[in-house]
Amino acid sequence: MLSEIAFYGALETGLIYGLVAFGIYISFRVLDFPDLTVDGSFPLGAAVAAMLIIDGWNPWIATGAAVLAGMAAGAVTALLNVKLNILNLLASILTMIALYSVNLRIMGRPNVALLSEETVLTPWYDLDLAFHQVPVLLFVIVVFVSLILLWRFMKSETGLAMRATGANARMARAQGIATGAMIVLGVALSNGLVGLAGALFAQSQGAADVTMGVGVIVIGLASLIGGEALVTPSTVVRALIACVVGAIIYRLAIAFALNADVLGLQAQDLNLITAVLVTLAIVLPGVRNSVIGKLTRKKA
Amino acid sequence: MISASDLRLTFGKGTPLENPALRGMSLTVNQGEFVTVIGSNGAGKSTFLNALAGEVIVDTGQIIVDNQDVTRLPTHKRAARVARVFQDPLAGTCENLSIEENLALAIKRGQRRGLTAAVKKQYLSQFRESLSSLKLGLENRLGDKMGLLSGGQRQAVSLLMASLTPSSILLLDEHTAALDPKTAAFVLELTEKIIEEQKLTALMVTHSMKQALEVGTRTVMLHQGQVVFDIAGKEREGLEVKDLLGLFEKQRGLEVDDDSLLLG
Repeated sequence: MLSEIAFYGALETGLIYGLVAFGIYISFRVLDFPDLTVDGSFPLGAAVAAMLIIDGWNPWIATGAAVLAGMAAGAVTALLNVKLNILNLLASILTMIALYSVNLRIMGRPNVALLSEETVLTPWYDLDLAFHQVPVLLFVIVVFVSLILLWRFMKSETGLAMRATGANARMARAQGIATGAMIVLGVALSNGLVGLAGALFAQSQGAADVTMGVGVIVIGLASLIGGEALVTPSTVVRALIACVVGAIIYRLAIAFALNADVLGLQAQDLNLITAVLVTLAIVLPGVRNSVIGKLTRKKA
Repeated sequence: MISASDLRLTFGKGTPLENPALRGMSLTVNQGEFVTVIGSNGAGKSTFLNALAGEVIVDTGQIIVDNQDVTRLPTHKRAARVARVFQDPLAGTCENLSIEENLALAIKRGQRRGLTAAVKKQYLSQFRESLSSLKLGLENRLGDKMGLLSGGQRQAVSLLMASLTPSSILLLDEHTAALDPKTAAFVLELTEKIIEEQKLTALMVTHSMKQALEVGTRTVMLHQGQVVFDIAGKEREGLEVKDLLGLFEKQRGLEVDDDSLLLG
């Protein structure tokens, strides 16, 4: 079985990837913009936050700067697509590759340790909680606040304009919506959330590493698709809850798979397990729908 | 008032597929006029509408809407003055959004959009009232997804959306062509009602000569990217499809060989 520490560890990472899944929900689902920038904006957020914290900045301000850095990265991708007409997927790959160099420049070396620094988590350790429960508490609050803000935004005039842009761009233009500006805003927002996730991840893990972004897009997508399979995303708030549920379930599934000795899996099998889980998550809802489809057809 | 003068537009310039869609198109539509536009396939009807809406930018010429030169403006910057209903019933609305969200998008057409709630309480009674005028029972389904409605219902809602806020011109691009005859008649009737009640200025492209003469106050025929004739008032009254064809042949000195013009 899963140890208590491993369980809380999975929750902690799951909550962080919930933020990533929010970002991927905005780009992939709301805007229909397949954005791989996140593999670069996740370590970008981590690098910016880590360097500013080491420099003596308040960790929350450093985290805010990481969000802004992520947003800037997202805006670059969107502008490459909107202004220069580069295919969205390719535009995001270009930014992602560029960010690898940028992240190395920001940190000056491949990784930076934060172990003895004051982070957003430091004051919370004074609470009467076990060491491994503290990050979970803080991240639950961050994810909850982000979810409420995003939900409110998606229901606002601008948010609705963004949803229309992704769903039917021609109709959106005819309603006077500047669709290009909406794509820039949306992809920036998406990567801002991923930058936040990277900043929190670096602070809870005690280090920022230039390679920590590899596969973030796949894990985020796995969370999104898995969550959608479990929580039907018929409304915005359900879609956002699906992101968090999917991310936590995903991390727990990984933790179980690695802990179950009978399976004989080891840490190096992580990417293989991820790929298998993503495949299952993509295929299973289709299987479910076809089964339901058959049942309803019989009824009719 | 809108006025288009000497619009010229060639698609695929410098390629073997070069296609001059507009060749000196000029048309002035006065306030309160309801113009029907006919023409064979490739006459430039859709291109003309797209040029007025801003979806395509003309090579040369000038488009003036209410004394403002909009020739170079993109679609979203013209949207405050130009309302539009598309031919495809799926194109004018967002199927993933609810009916009230679609209407909330339309009520802010061409205006600044902020961070306040999109679907405001004060809109709801207005939405219900407009929807009940359609007599489709949609006033009780505000929260339903648009995708649940039929093509005809969606086109009726598109019309409503286009008329929720004032516009200088309403563009109707064969908006009944994709519907079955009964639904098409309903949507056309609704169109006439809305245009008359709100005293809208409208430009309706149609494939049917009969419809072009029965509806509206003025009829314009396009051929090869130009206006070939333009009739209104007494001259237009009592005119029948065969007269129209005769007029067309006289103007161009050629036979109409496009069956689609004779049908309907």
